[in-house]
Amino acid sequence: MSNQDGVPVGPVVTRRRVLAAGALAGFGAFLAACGAGGTKSAEPSASASESAAPSASAEATVAPSVEASASAEAAGATPSAELNWANWTYYLDYDDTTKKYPTLEAFTKEYGTKVNYSEVIDDNNSFFGTIKPALEAGQDTGWDLIVMTDWMAARLIRLGWMEELNLANMPDFTKNLKDIYKGLAWDPDMKHHAPWQSGMTGLGYAKDKTGELDTLEVLFTADPKWNGKVDYLSEMRDAVGLTMLDLGLDPTNPTTKDCDAATAKMQKAVNDGIVRAFKGNAYAEDLKSGDAVLSMAWSGDMVQALIDKPTLQFTVAKEGGMIWTDNMMIPNGAQHKGTAELLMNYYYRPEVAALVTAYVNYLTPVSGADKILVKDNPEIAKNPLIFPPADVMSRLHDFGALSEADEAYFNDAFAKVSGV
Amino acid sequence: MATVTPAPATPSSVQRLARRLDGSALYVFTGLAVLYLLLPVAVIVLFSFNDPAGKSNFVWQGFTLKYWLDPLGVPGLPQAVFLSLVIAFVSTIVATALGTLIGLALVRYDFRLQGATNALIFIPMATPEIVLGASLLTMFVSIGGPPFFPLSAVTILIAHIMFNISYVVVTVRARLEGFPRHLEEAAMDLGANEWTTFWKVTFPLILPGIVAAGLLAFSLSIDDFVITNFTAGKTQTFPMFIYAKYRIGIPVQVNVIGTLIFIIAVGTVGVTTLARIRADARARRR
Amino acid sequence: MGGFIKRHRWIAPYALLAPGVLWLLVFYVYPGIQMFIASFWSGTLETGFTFSVSNWTNYPDALQGASAQFVRSILYAGAATLLTFLIAYPLAYTIAFKGGHYKALLLFLVVAPFFTSFLLRTISWKIILGDSGLFLAPLKTIGLVPSDFRLLAEPVAVVSGITYNFLPFMTLPIYVSLEKIDHRLVEAAKDLYAGPWRPGGAIAGLVIGGLLGGVLGYIFEYSIPVFAIAAAAAGAIIGWFFISQSFTRVTFPLSLPGVFAGSLLTFIPAIGDYVNAEFLGNPGTTMVGNVIQNKFLVQNDYPAASALSFILMAGILVAVAIYARALGTEGLTTGRG
Repeated sequence: MSNQDGVPVGPVVTRRRVLAAGALAGFGAFLAACGAGGTKSAEPSASASESAAPSASAEATVAPSVEASASAEAAGATPSAELNWANWTYYLDYDDTTKKYPTLEAFTKEYGTKVNYSEVIDDNNSFFGTIKPALEAGQDTGWDLIVMTDWMAARLIRLGWMEELNLANMPDFTKNLKDIYKGLAWDPDMKHHAPWQSGMTGLGYAKDKTGELDTLEVLFTADPKWNGKVDYLSEMRDAVGLTMLDLGLDPTNPTTKDCDAATAKMQKAVNDGIVRAFKGNAYAEDLKSGDAVLSMAWSGDMVQALIDKPTLQFTVAKEGGMIWTDNMMIPNGAQHKGTAELLMNYYYRPEVAALVTAYVNYLTPVSGADKILVKDNPEIAKNPLIFPPADVMSRLHDFGALSEADEAYFNDAFAKVSGV
Repeated sequence: MATVTPAPATPSSVQRLARRLDGSALYVFTGLAVLYLLLPVAVIVLFSFNDPAGKSNFVWQGFTLKYWLDPLGVPGLPQAVFLSLVIAFVSTIVATALGTLIGLALVRYDFRLQGATNALIFIPMATPEIVLGASLLTMFVSIGGPPFFPLSAVTILIAHIMFNISYVVVTVRARLEGFPRHLEEAAMDLGANEWTTFWKVTFPLILPGIVAAGLLAFSLSIDDFVITNFTAGKTQTFPMFIYAKYRIGIPVQVNVIGTLIFIIAVGTVGVTTLARIRADARARRR
Repeated sequence: MGGFIKRHRWIAPYALLAPGVLWLLVFYVYPGIQMFIASFWSGTLETGFTFSVSNWTNYPDALQGASAQFVRSILYAGAATLLTFLIAYPLAYTIAFKGGHYKALLLFLVVAPFFTSFLLRTISWKIILGDSGLFLAPLKTIGLVPSDFRLLAEPVAVVSGITYNFLPFMTLPIYVSLEKIDHRLVEAAKDLYAGPWRPGGAIAGLVIGGLLGGVLGYIFEYSIPVFAIAAAAAGAIIGWFFISQSFTRVTFPLSLPGVFAGSLLTFIPAIGDYVNAEFLGNPGTTMVGNVIQNKFLVQNDYPAASALSFILMAGILVAVAIYARALGTEGLTTGRG
């Protein structure tokens, strides 16, 4: 069990504020460069600081049932018989022995709703392609709940294709959402989306081949150790964002000029034969097989990759890294909107969120989940890739919103670099 | 064994050598080609016994039987495999029937719309899959009612039949071109009507072509991802399942299922072949 | 039914055609027309698209933007078609003429891999061909290839992937056309052209091999002379030992309809393929299919994507027409004769 010291927090600070400020102040001592490799050291664990911990969190077992549900029911939503939820692969806790999703089971038990849960999303754009015609025609997509990355969420909301949430159904959501997720330009009042998980984009590399790395510049520098063995991410915002950081530009406020500079820098690396390929999640396979020794990488993937190959390392470089969020939303025309809201709210109970985090290994937007994990699953709570220390959090940037014209410009320029 | 000697050798000895080389080299080549075709399958089979530490099944870690004992133990996998099989079977049967009829019409008859029909067969094959998928989806949604909408196994089936027809026509045609028409004429002369002639003479002769076309259609259908992804809606086929899992790591069970499908298919054909060999032998004895 | 058809013979072809053609009209042509209209759109996803004939400029614009990928698609698909032919023909020949009782089994083995997902197969190839995979690791250990040598993320990987994936498309039609050749014709030819045709075969093999090898060397971005010389030598050997006159004068011409069908079945999907380039290639090996896919799904540039699709289809149709004239008609006539 981890110790309970951590950073002293004054009583004036509200509980939410503490968590929001990256909670993980307790990690302060933790590695400056966030080299997160296979570190197993018993570091002080996250945010054990607060005294305000709700007692409920003490029992972090599956059945979250009784205590938190009262409020939701009070709001008057009647759960429907079924609910259709589209999510990304491996994005919900799953029990190999019972062949069930424990948190979904508990939800069904509590609300009587059978959740048709499908992990059918493998790409924002291609999933968008499959729901767009229905939304355009004002039809039901068949989904009550979908999960999309923030830039796509922004687009869907901008198009007016996502239902407005009835926050009265979602008291846990309003209570437990971390502050850093609030006030985004594309949905300032959290009327249309609820964050599901977040992730960091940084450097992934095979430490045994490259040595310790802490600058993004390595991605663009010819070196016999990694020439032709560098993967770039095929997600425009991650690749361009990291390149902008390397150039000292600010990805939270991207301009077409920045885009030109970033794509020129990438193009040079491509021409120099440094870059092997632009990949989605497949870069992780390349790192594991040795076909790549250095890559732009996502934190959750790397937690998983480390299990297979402990010599891999994930680092948020000194220039910084990107942070992105996948969000739950209800498409227009959804048949079970109220129940979808209940489900979103349900996943904002810290004890439920903790179970999801322990399985998916990404950053949780739910405050209080860390505290439960400290007690329940300290390995996860101590993992700086899942609960990054404050100094790392401070170096993460989200990719700013793009106007439609700018988005087309960025996409086009990036497509050219990646060969299409 | 004679050494390779150029021109001065007598024609007969060179010829003998060439014939021997011809025979054995072809067998060796065929063996290598089959090996080349099956090598990836061997790796798939091998990795169905892998025991990866994490979710990724890419690097050999150790031997285990545990995924063979639990081949469907991944949520969504059984449904996906079942759906893919059903769609492959039904679309193969329908497309092979429709395509064979078109093939017959194109080869056996001269009619005014022949050129247009030929074009109609070729152009779908010249269309990128993604265009087929996207345009079908747009149409299904614009119709907006059952059975086209909401998207379901039915819409997948419609799409698969559509893209399979052309491949069937082309394959069947290759068989029909230069078909020995005199056999049919002989049957007719002997008093058989068109119906009998077709089933007793024509059909058995073109059957290999139809079977080849069917095999092609089945393998195209069971393997299709792009078009299916656009027309599937909430349903998920086996390739879609794999694609979705590819993001983080394909479960070992997928290799197990892949191996099983392979074994069942090869086994079925193996048994049929054996049966035919035995029937041939019996016929010869008589 | 037979009687009815006999009385109205003109109906017969249309009756046979009707179900299949109807299916294609409804589920291919109609959506295709919608897509054609989309290629004359302008606008964006959010502002909406408007149709105007003056947007024909979408076509030259799209073509100009993707010219490199177009050229690459043609080269890669051509190389893959050639390679599938070189592998498939002897394979189909052996199965058809020397398969004996194992004909069906061998034929099935050709298709069998394709009953497993292409994604699994592609991953298998990545495991086999990886920089330190089953194939290269031993070669690197004994120093046969330099340690930074790679096969993946190179043109050769993309072309090989396409070759592998479309091999049955070539093998099956060739097999079908070989299988129906009347053996008595071949026997008669053997009597007629008893003498071997060694110098002719060797010279033809030398020239053809050299040319094709050079082209492959160019496409793979490897040494052109090395490829040309190696292929010329292989061609000469094959021409000397294996190519008989009865083959060049009877068997091969009679199998041309199958070769024709097989190369179309390979070349056409190959030229629109994007999966192999995506999984096995690098940013310098992308094909026009990758551009279309990107424009459809990533950039939501439907007008440009539709225009590119139609350019691709038109290009294929022109190529098919030329090919049919050059080889197909001749093949068909000899096939009938």
